[in-house]
Amino acid sequence: MGKTNLMNELLKHGYSNRLTGTSLALKIIDDLQNVLQENNIDSFINKYLEIIHFLEKERPASMASWNILRMVGEYVLSNGISGLSEYLQYLKNKIDRDSWEAAKIAANRVVDGDVLMTISNSMAVRKMFKILVDEGVKFSVYVLESRPGMEGLDTASYLDSLGVKTYLIVDSAARFFMKKVKKVFVGAEAIAVNGAVVGKIGTSLLCLTANEARVRVFVVAPLYKFSFETIYGELIELPEGDWRLLMNEDVRKTLPENYSARAPLYDVTPPYLIDGIATEYGLFAPQAVPVILRQVYGGFPPKLRPVNEIVKELVELRGEYR
Amino acid sequence: MKIPEKVLEIAEAIKTMKIRGAGKIARAAAEALKIAAEKYDGPKDPDEFRKYMNKVANLILSTRPTAVSLPNAVIYVMYHLGKATGDINDLKETVIKSAEKFINDSLQAVKKIGEIGARRIKDNSVVLTHCHSTAAASVIINAYRMGKIIKVYSTETRPFYQGRITARHLLEAGVPVVQIPDSAVRYIMHEVDQVIVGADTIASNGAVINKIGTSQVALAAHEARVRVFVAAETYKFSPATLIGELVPIEFRDPTEIVPREWINKHKNVEVLNPSFDVTPPEYIDAIITEQGVIPPQAAILVLLERFGWALEKIKQGGIGKILFEETLEEE
Repeated sequence: MGKTNLMNELLKHGYSNRLTGTSLALKIIDDLQNVLQENNIDSFINKYLEIIHFLEKERPASMASWNILRMVGEYVLSNGISGLSEYLQYLKNKIDRDSWEAAKIAANRVVDGDVLMTISNSMAVRKMFKILVDEGVKFSVYVLESRPGMEGLDTASYLDSLGVKTYLIVDSAARFFMKKVKKVFVGAEAIAVNGAVVGKIGTSLLCLTANEARVRVFVVAPLYKFSFETIYGELIELPEGDWRLLMNEDVRKTLPENYSARAPLYDVTPPYLIDGIATEYGLFAPQAVPVILRQVYGGFPPKLRPVNEIVKELVELRGEYR
Repeated sequence: MKIPEKVLEIAEAIKTMKIRGAGKIARAAAEALKIAAEKYDGPKDPDEFRKYMNKVANLILSTRPTAVSLPNAVIYVMYHLGKATGDINDLKETVIKSAEKFINDSLQAVKKIGEIGARRIKDNSVVLTHCHSTAAASVIINAYRMGKIIKVYSTETRPFYQGRITARHLLEAGVPVVQIPDSAVRYIMHEVDQVIVGADTIASNGAVINKIGTSQVALAAHEARVRVFVAAETYKFSPATLIGELVPIEFRDPTEIVPREWINKHKNVEVLNPSFDVTPPEYIDAIITEQGVIPPQAAILVLLERFGWALEKIKQGGIGKILFEETLEEE
């Protein structure tokens, strides 16, 4: 079997190379950096709005990207595009640094002989694995395949490349193996002000089974994953797909015509199922999110404007240039 | 008296898994005992007949030592033979009648479970089910026909996607069903009113062994205060668990989860594929059997009612070692 055959086989199960929340934010920065080459604020704002539109549709809960766009938007409103390239580079470095810092703090919780369990594919959790391997900590990991999308396979591949003993299991087997597990580590797509964590679908079920078995759950999430909008009562929108996320056309043809499926992509893990959130500012209880925001932003609520306000002003700004 | 050819054939078919599935195995075992009795033409001595039947029973028991339904079928028939008195014709008649009753009861069980279970479904219910269970589907279809069910969520049930069989089964009966990935069980649970699943084996403490994932479906339901019902024929109750025997959990081929090529490429990754898990009785509100609804903790009641006589034997040697010779001496 060639590589394409393996891929075809995986596509039958709805496998997809989905970007992690952090990878998506980094890609957005790159895209903005590219359009900046044209040195035209009009085309820059157009690209910016195009990305906003994409996010609303495809990744409404991807808070890293929203926060980056908030910062970039504010920068443009105050400074136009002068120095923006350096600012984008600064943001990129910051994301990288913050996720390593958060991963480092999470890694401190892992000791020799630990058996871990994780779901999906998170850049911050990957970085934690890398740090542990570099520090010579001996550990093994149970990885859930994480349907829909099956990004758990990517995490397992990464662990394989690090030489870590890894067990790949179906999502349904989390509770079966939980008794063997010491700690659960997951990433986040967004964190709400009450400490609830939006993660890949199945995260909340995994955390529930951990909680039942008194296994500790840690979320590795730099503060750029925080959803500032939730302070003002906004709900984080959770997108859903259909059968296309669970199989390919060929498999669909074998099922009845009126077959239908719902494939939610994210779920919400309540704060009481989480023992700690590892951020670049330290490890703290999920319920302490407002405290950290106060420390970082010098007050609560932080003086940040909603993205839609920024977008409105950017549209006006674009008008001025026309 | 030699064991008839036809009986040997059935034993072989069970052994080589040509006959599969808890219900079919059980009925085949009862059928074999019936044929053995019909074809008996040895000495007219009742003791000789009992010895012969014990031999047949032991042969059938030896085909699949870990299956639950098989020994239960054999125990059922042999229990009645053990209790029976009279001449050779009376004993033959007892075996034939009880084997027929077992087969008929087993066929009727799914229907009865459907009727009894449907009464437990509330009006305007959204029901969630995991894997594919004929008994659970029977409850759902009955309740739907009574106008009680508005929607069914069926989990895909990785790795083998038995949920797709459920979806097809229910759609053919006109039941509106929506498939969800197994990972979405907690997400969807707040829309669900009742969970109904089948069982592979039920242990003496009421723990339910069923398709992997069942226990976390039940856990998520428990957390959301959604009721969980298990639909199971009484021959799925395991007498062996009464003496502390563990129900073995089969690990199946990893290629059911990912292709061989992927496995070969990842030397540090072990793909683990357990088929079943154990749902503790505290997450189950009731077990619906063809005999009626029982709380899971009363599983022992079914065992005593159904296998009371055999329990002594099982205590002595475990399910695989029920020696029917001893029955002769006792009677």
